[in-house]
Amino acid sequence: MASKGNLTLKSCNGKEFIVEEKVAVMSTTIKNMVDVDDSFAQGVIPIIGVDGKILAKLIEYCKEHAEADEDEEVKSEEYLKKFDEKFVDELNLNDLYDLLKASNYLEITKLLNLLCQKVASMIKGKKPEEIRRIFNIKNDFTPEEEEEINRQNPWAF
Amino acid sequence: MGASLSTLTENGAANGGPGLGDIPESCVACVFLYLTPPEICNLARLNRAFRGAASSDAVWEAKLPHNYQQLLELFPPERYQNLSKKDIFALLSRPVPFDDDDGYKEIWLDRVTGRACMSISAKAMTITGIEDRRYWNWIPTDESRFQVVAYLQQMWWFEVVGIVKFPFPPDIYTLSFRLHLGRSSKRLLRRVCYDHTQGWDIKPVRFELSTSDGQQVSRECCLDDTEQDEATGSQKRGCWVDYKVGEFIISGSDPVTEVSFSMKQIDCTHSKGGLCVDLVSIVPSDLKVCRRRGVLK
Repeated sequence: MASKGNLTLKSCNGKEFIVEEKVAVMSTTIKNMVDVDDSFAQGVIPIIGVDGKILAKLIEYCKEHAEADEDEEVKSEEYLKKFDEKFVDELNLNDLYDLLKASNYLEITKLLNLLCQKVASMIKGKKPEEIRRIFNIKNDFTPEEEEEINRQNPWAF
Repeated sequence: MGASLSTLTENGAANGGPGLGDIPESCVACVFLYLTPPEICNLARLNRAFRGAASSDAVWEAKLPHNYQQLLELFPPERYQNLSKKDIFALLSRPVPFDDDDGYKEIWLDRVTGRACMSISAKAMTITGIEDRRYWNWIPTDESRFQVVAYLQQMWWFEVVGIVKFPFPPDIYTLSFRLHLGRSSKRLLRRVCYDHTQGWDIKPVRFELSTSDGQQVSRECCLDDTEQDEATGSQKRGCWVDYKVGEFIISGSDPVTEVSFSMKQIDCTHSKGGLCVDLVSIVPSDLKVCRRRGVLK
């Protein structure tokens, strides 16, 4: 394994970010790359399908959490909770989708769970029409199908 | 199983812009982890892709207790073989009789939280003097989920005991007796209460529970404390009240746990009467809070 130095991550639109290794390996995907092949640790790691804006967001998140994992005194659980709340509250829908996809691909489990929780909280208590509107989802059921679905789960309503 | 990423993408967005349909199915499954079964069923109505994801076994397996296979053994195999996990959840969320007690013991999974709840009718308990109609009567009533309650006319040896042996899913449970001071009946569609309550204000009733792994709780409670009721503004006479006996913890280390419970007032200096015994309930201690907030486990 490479020394605990810095890694260079490159977004799909060519932006380069130099980050500490402990921050980068919050991503299981990157960790596996570095563990398997030393050359990644020396050179530039391309992050396919993730643009500079989203990559910067990912790094911001991982930096806070990597530092907290290292030193609980400086960044308490309470602090991280507040950071997480602020982090997801400031996202618009597009960024939320992009971050979801990126954290899924890069296997940043903590962030993925946080984002999924955010989506779940946006869904809770809403009617299907509202959810379709907010999340831009097309209703592709025929009226007959819709009737059948309403019949299928009578105990849930 | 579930919808593929490609169908989510093709059918997902309504007008070109990104939609929730664009996110990978594994993310959708992760979102479902934070939603309750009724909410997931609601999402099945969004579109075809979501309907697929909302009926995937992986999603519903996470909503079932770890030992749901043991709960399924309450059914004949043909009832649950070939069922999807979602259908298994639906099956277990309806009350299931167990222990061959003529349907007087029931278990079911709470539909919001997926946690196990249990009711044991007075019919499945041992009640001293129950066979003598001068002391006890069985009263049919729709105020009980078992449609019948035990009514104590009058007796000085008041003792009700029960036992239940079950593969409880790991949780912290609260055991309570559901009791009613006085008896009620319907007269011309109106509920009328007859108050022949006597003796419950003199000495407290002793409630006890114990488990096969050595947990024990006991508690004394005065069933009829008119002064205190007036002070707190709560009326016990003429109402069904859950008397909490205590809590016990199921850690999951034993496959089956036996829980014994009792309620006694055997002071021979005074007789007691005018009390209905409906059932004992065993439910997860924080169930109400979790249901209200819509959080799981």
